[in-house]
Amino acid sequence: MGADPDEELVRRIGAGDQAAVQAMVARKLPRVLSLATRMLGDAAEAEDVAQETFVRIWRHASGWRQGRARFDTWIHRVALNLCYDRLRRRREWTTDELPEVPDEAPLPDAVAGDEGRRVQQALQRIAPRQREAIVLVYYQEMSNIEAANAMQVSVDALESLVARGRRALQAMLVGDERDD
Amino acid sequence: MAENRKGTDKPMDARRFAALADAYGSALHRWPQAEQAAATLFAESEEGRAILRRAARLDAILDRHHVEVPSRTLHGEIVAKAGVPLRQGRHRRLWWLGFGLAGVGLAGAVAGLALVTVVTPDAPSDHYVMDANATSFGDAGPDADTEDL
Repeated sequence: MGADPDEELVRRIGAGDQAAVQAMVARKLPRVLSLATRMLGDAAEAEDVAQETFVRIWRHASGWRQGRARFDTWIHRVALNLCYDRLRRRREWTTDELPEVPDEAPLPDAVAGDEGRRVQQALQRIAPRQREAIVLVYYQEMSNIEAANAMQVSVDALESLVARGRRALQAMLVGDERDD
Repeated sequence: MAENRKGTDKPMDARRFAALADAYGSALHRWPQAEQAAATLFAESEEGRAILRRAARLDAILDRHHVEVPSRTLHGEIVAKAGVPLRQGRHRRLWWLGFGLAGVGLAGAVAGLALVTVVTPDAPSDHYVMDANATSFGDAGPDADTEDL
C-alpha cells in the first residue's frame, strides 16, 4: 500500500487547520453521501449519516495513524457502520427480518426520467451485504482489495457478493434478455 | 483500479473472463489490475465481446442512478461541527496545562513549609492556640475553683 493521499490533510485537521477542514468536506462529502444514499435509499437519512461520519472524523483526526487501511477506507467503514445501525433500527421498528433471499421479480419498466428511482428500488431489494459490495466496487470505484478491507471480508468473498448482487439486479432490471 | 487477488497475470479463459464481468461489470478499469492486460486481449475475441455486451446492459441501467450533489447547507453544517471537537481538544490541552501549573505551585508550597519547619524555632503549641475553650485572654473554660459551687 502506497502513501495515503489523505494523510497530510488529516494531520492538518488534527492541528486545528480550518482550511483543511473545508478541503476534507469538499473532497469526501460527495463520496460519503453517495455511499449512504445508495445503502439507505433515503436522502434525509443519508445526510444524517454523512454528518455523523464527519463528526467522527473531526473527533479522531488528531489521533489518526495509518495502519492497514487508508483513511478513505476507514471513513467508508465508519459510514457503513452508521448505515447498518439505521438498517437495524428499521428492522426493529417494522419487526420484519430482512429477507435472506431477495425478491428478484422484475421491476416494472420505468417511465422516462424515472430510471434512477427504479435502480434505487432494486438496490434496496437485494441483500444489504450484496448492496454494500456493489456500491463500493461499482459506484465508489474502490479496488477489490480496498472494498474487501472496508467490508472486512476476503477478496474472494467480495467477488462472490458483488457477482450475486449483480445477478439479482440483472434479473430485476434487465430480465432474461439474451445477447443478440 | 482493482487489484488482482492472485497477484499474477495469468492467461485469461472464457470462464474467468465471464466471472470477472459478472462481478465488476463491462468497464475493465474496475477489474483486478493484474488481470486487466489478459482481459483486454480476451475482450477482443467474439466471446469476450459478447460477455462484455451483456454486462454493459446492466451497467447502463446502474449508471442512471445519480445522487444529488451535497447542498451548501449540509456542507456548512458539517464544517461548523468541526469547530466543536477541535476546540474541545484545545480546551483539554489547556486544562492539562492548568493542572500542571497547579501541581508545580503545590510542590513549591510543600517545599516552603518544610523549609520553614526546619529553620524556625518552635512556635507555641497548635493545640493550645486552637483549643476551643481558649480566648485571647487565656483559658475561658470552666474555672476549677467554681467546680465545687
